[in-house]
Amino acid sequence: MTHTIAITGLGIICSIGNDAPSVLDSLRKGESGIRRMKYLPSKHTHLPVGEVQLSNGEMKHMLGITSSEPMSRTALMGAIAVRQALAQAGIEDVSDKRIALISGTTVGGMDLTERYFERMKSDDSLLWLPQSNDCGDSTKEIAAIAGLNSAEVCTISTACSSALNSIILGSEMLRRDEADIVVAGGSEALSLFHLNGFNTLMILDKEQCRPFDDTRAGLNLGEGAAFVVLQRDTEGLAYVVGYGNRCDAFHQTASSENGEGAYLAMKDAMDMAGLTPDDIQYVNAHGTGTPNNDLSESAGLKRIFTESMPAVSSTKSFTGHTTSASGSIETVICVLAMQNGFIPANLGWKNQAFGAITPTMGAEGVELKNVICNSFGFGGNDSSMILSAEPHSFTDSKSATPQVEVVADVEISSVEELSQLREFVSPMESRRMGKLMKAAHLAALRALKAANVECPDAIVTATSRGMLETSMQFLDDMLNGGEELLKPTLFMQSTHNTLSSAIAIRTKCHGYNTTYSQGEESLQWAMRDAERLIATGKAQTVLVGLYDEVTPIFAEFAKRAGRQVPQELYARSIVLTRK
Amino acid sequence: MEELILTLKEQIIDALNLEEIAPEDIDNDAPLFGDGLGLDSIDALELIVILDRFYGIKLANPAEGKNIFKSIRTIADYVATNRTK
Repeated sequence: MTHTIAITGLGIICSIGNDAPSVLDSLRKGESGIRRMKYLPSKHTHLPVGEVQLSNGEMKHMLGITSSEPMSRTALMGAIAVRQALAQAGIEDVSDKRIALISGTTVGGMDLTERYFERMKSDDSLLWLPQSNDCGDSTKEIAAIAGLNSAEVCTISTACSSALNSIILGSEMLRRDEADIVVAGGSEALSLFHLNGFNTLMILDKEQCRPFDDTRAGLNLGEGAAFVVLQRDTEGLAYVVGYGNRCDAFHQTASSENGEGAYLAMKDAMDMAGLTPDDIQYVNAHGTGTPNNDLSESAGLKRIFTESMPAVSSTKSFTGHTTSASGSIETVICVLAMQNGFIPANLGWKNQAFGAITPTMGAEGVELKNVICNSFGFGGNDSSMILSAEPHSFTDSKSATPQVEVVADVEISSVEELSQLREFVSPMESRRMGKLMKAAHLAALRALKAANVECPDAIVTATSRGMLETSMQFLDDMLNGGEELLKPTLFMQSTHNTLSSAIAIRTKCHGYNTTYSQGEESLQWAMRDAERLIATGKAQTVLVGLYDEVTPIFAEFAKRAGRQVPQELYARSIVLTRK
Repeated sequence: MEELILTLKEQIIDALNLEEIAPEDIDNDAPLFGDGLGLDSIDALELIVILDRFYGIKLANPAEGKNIFKSIRTIADYVATNRTK
């Protein structure tokens, strides 16, 4: 049997509008949402940002929330976008349906944590915060506010490609009949944490960003949320017809010169859709505005399209780089462009850069049959998706029963063992690795060795809190050092996908790579994905990992709140193969 | 100058967490990036933090670091000329 995957509803809130019609209006008028900071209480006011033009109170009011308890912007924006998407799809009663909510985020509730962290050290009434602010919890909160209490809830955290990977997961779940309705996308609030983090990497432009321009000097951070409703075998606004998730496996914070990850992700998407370069009319590029991303992405685009380059633009000079939400925000922008027959401009572009593509300054009255949306993340988590005006049929992959075998299963739970990493990694190579990164490497490399696998076909990682030690250190330095003299080494390890992508870099694995961050359920989601990959023939061997740690301050919060304190350090790597 | 060179080496070893390297292991004139010590772009950003934290030197653009961070001696020369603390 064959199926089609339709997008039946759109929800979006970002710096250029609080719903789809207003976003469409800004795009067509060429009005950017990059402005002076208004809501984020940072001292770096010289850095322009793309803020949603609503206070938390105004968002609560829109959602009909009367509680005066502090809430994360990530959850509030996410709930607004989810509600819009459900309304457009005409979905009201979901009680008899299998529904899933999949969200991409990295920041989660960090906007709240950073505001109350110092007070949490002495105020017991705030102790619910550290438990309710990780990525997985922010998605649960979105589900609760949006009235999706019966939904399966999942969070993907692959840094800036998180939301696109959520839509890819949702599509795969529908293909395998794991749900009737999937609401997929992402949400990310601006936080002092990641503004300062990107600042340590010196990739924030002090002017409005100019993707692909010769004078580009970095990105502007933005915030927002966008979700799409995905359904099978029904009429839609557009159709998901192909996607690819690959790893550049080059460097933790830089993209390869030849755009390998970008190229492979786009190639997989084109192959899956059965399309050739001539079939594509528009590419919504990742196009962050950093010298490195835009050159690397250009190289990948040139390899794919050679002489038939379609119109390409980055819409980040409108919205700012909405990091984990960018993949779904730009998916919604693509659908709006297809429905309304226009191509959004690459605002701010003036000067051709050597080696870079020449972006479009926009067009009206065009027919967009097939468009590509690119979304790339730190560590080289590169994903690409093709949307089409016409449905394409996929073969039902439900009948493919997974015959999966565990061929290695390794656990590391003591700090003492970490010295044995020397067998695989030199001290120079491990100079930046925190404890959890070392444990993850040791478990993964031992498991691969035991399974006699040099490079797995895919790496799927589960972590509920990511590299908490380095993240907490960065947070502490930031709060106590007045947002100055922060260490890039700490920030670059703070994204949850750092573990998965570092292992890919080590094993030179350019295959599928993703990270689940759904609290205690993270490993279940990762195993489910690994089995799906093997069942559908996308991978023969998959490295699955569960990596988590707690810090003394986190343990103290848990103790004071009367909760169980998780294990100080835990790494488990499993190698799965097709039987 | 010799004192500044030693201090710089100690600050670099600490900031970059070069666990098994002692100051005397780093040649004053050997390249720090690529074939020499093998540092990368993130280390370069940490070196920029060192200049700011200990010597009051602010670099606006990471590209400026390219010539300054060639070797320990080039850093020491730059610091000696431009330090504000």
